[in-house]
Amino acid sequence: MKKKYNWPVTILLFIGLITVLFPLYLTIIIAFKQPSEMGNTLSSILALPKSWSFSNFAKAMEVTDFWHTLMNSILITGTTVILSILLHSMLGYAIGRMKKRHKWFNRAYLYIVSGMFVPFAILMMPLVKQTADLHIANIVGVILCYLVFFMPINVMLYSGYLTNIPEALEEAAKVDGGSTWSTYWTIIFPIMKPMHATVAVLTALGTWNDVMTPLVIMSGSGANTLPLAQLTFQTQFGTNYNLAFASYLLALLPMLIFYVFAQKHILNGVVNGAVK
Amino acid sequence: MAKISFQHVTKTYDNNVTVVPDLNLDIKDKEFVVLVGPSGCGKSTTLRMIAGLESITSGELYIGDRVVNELQPKDRDIAMVFQTYALYPHMTVYKNMAYALTLKKTPKKEIDQKVKHAAEILGLTEYLDRKPRALSGGQRQRVALGRAMVRNPEVFLLDEPLSNLDAKLRTEMRAQISKLHKQLDTTFVYVTHDQTEAMTMADRIVVLDKGIIQQFDTPAHIYDHPANLFVATFIGSPKMNLIDVTLEKKGDTYYIKNEDLHFAIPAGKVTKEFESHVGKKIILGIRPEDLHIEKIMVDTYPDSVFTSTLDIVENTGSEMNLYFNYQGADMIIKTPSRFDYKDGDQISMAIDKNKIHLFDKETKQAIS
Repeated sequence: MKKKYNWPVTILLFIGLITVLFPLYLTIIIAFKQPSEMGNTLSSILALPKSWSFSNFAKAMEVTDFWHTLMNSILITGTTVILSILLHSMLGYAIGRMKKRHKWFNRAYLYIVSGMFVPFAILMMPLVKQTADLHIANIVGVILCYLVFFMPINVMLYSGYLTNIPEALEEAAKVDGGSTWSTYWTIIFPIMKPMHATVAVLTALGTWNDVMTPLVIMSGSGANTLPLAQLTFQTQFGTNYNLAFASYLLALLPMLIFYVFAQKHILNGVVNGAVK
Repeated sequence: MAKISFQHVTKTYDNNVTVVPDLNLDIKDKEFVVLVGPSGCGKSTTLRMIAGLESITSGELYIGDRVVNELQPKDRDIAMVFQTYALYPHMTVYKNMAYALTLKKTPKKEIDQKVKHAAEILGLTEYLDRKPRALSGGQRQRVALGRAMVRNPEVFLLDEPLSNLDAKLRTEMRAQISKLHKQLDTTFVYVTHDQTEAMTMADRIVVLDKGIIQQFDTPAHIYDHPANLFVATFIGSPKMNLIDVTLEKKGDTYYIKNEDLHFAIPAGKVTKEFESHVGKKIILGIRPEDLHIEKIMVDTYPDSVFTSTLDIVENTGSEMNLYFNYQGADMIIKTPSRFDYKDGDQISMAIDKNKIHLFDKETKQAIS
């Protein structure tokens, strides 16, 4: 039997693959090259480094105060992800279950979700002022902001996922003697695991790579996140691409590891077997 | 003591739809009561009101001697089996069954003992470590039963528990649930739209239509003495045949009459109601098995014989269903004997006069 290929789609996917792989290739080889190897011809740009030395990485770590900034980034991202899962899932549950019965829940839902359409640029100045006034122009303030910024999308995801979870489960738990609180934590929260993984990945990516929020809020606090520290590579007079790319690769690794770990849990059909 | 008593209970939803207008019902302790009716008749709502999953608009609901209107489900000492089973997908069979006891903070040893005991009765011992998704429909159904069993509730509520199973499994589970009722010796309230389940399992059946109790009696009595046309046609499969006739009176004897039939109603069937219906159109109901095509019956009772043409002949193996049309209405004969009939054959049939049911044409109430 002859296999049929969908050529147009195959070609499109191939082009897509190249647009991802080519910059990644450039990033990796430039991160290993010395500034002297950065020629102006196409062949010299694409060429592999003469020697695979990790000196750029060591230098980049030194310049960005890597371990310190990494800890800040992990602290902000980790706390935001954990609090998002705990708080936004509860909010999503309450709204998702009640919005069909109560118009006020539906209005609250629309109000929260409409937050997605507010651009950060509008919020930036008031936020700087407010966080300063409240003396939270630091990591705490940044985490608070993230919790609000990611609330619309997370609440939407959670309340949408709830439609897959039959209400009979909660009724069964209620008859079995569960309160709303214990039913939520013992039945609903574990069942929403695939959504927790999705929310964790989205929130983590968003906070880990974000420059603007920590830049405007934490700039006076002396603490840096990785993207903030990496700004030092871009100076008015030029950019040290070798160091910058080495640093970007270093910053990429934790997210990559996190994603590989989390995506295992993004499974569909976890509710299979609950009903029917 | 877990009798259940509805006193003038009504249920109106937020959108002003009243599903249960005025329910008065007394279920005895340890009784197996089946609520049966077409979809939308309020049977599930009634069950959910007992469970506490649906609020009661007015009236009082007693479980035992307590008014439970305002009690939470967990304080009512009930267990419920859902139509969709509602097993917790992330827990093993063991944990599913132990969940209610864990919430009550029952000692681990006692939980273990109760769960294993229930699993043994239901034949689930080897599946205790499995998740619900690795079980077949019948096994899931049994886990749902087990989850209710371990709690030793005063009242067992079952909401169409067999409707998702295939026909063979349904028959098996029917027997198993009946057996379970005898073993547990508690009050069972069972909701179904399947009249076979109602007939086979119930001590007493509640036939509901539009939230109103049409009849509440033993299966045999409901079958033999349906209170009205709705019950007559809803209970029994295939359903009762109906013929428009006139009631006549000559001397002390009442007669059924139409263009084919003219026979005396047996004295035992006559009631006070007859007098007011003399000369009027009434409805004669006759169950499919009470129409006889055997030659001896047709010859012996010529006054209750009519003829028609067969539309379809259905052979189920053990019996035959003969479909025909009489006076514009579709009718069925169920006969245990095998006859060599084909579609389109002319047949004569005799009505078993002792098995007739008579209904008022306007009120649809039984008069015999």
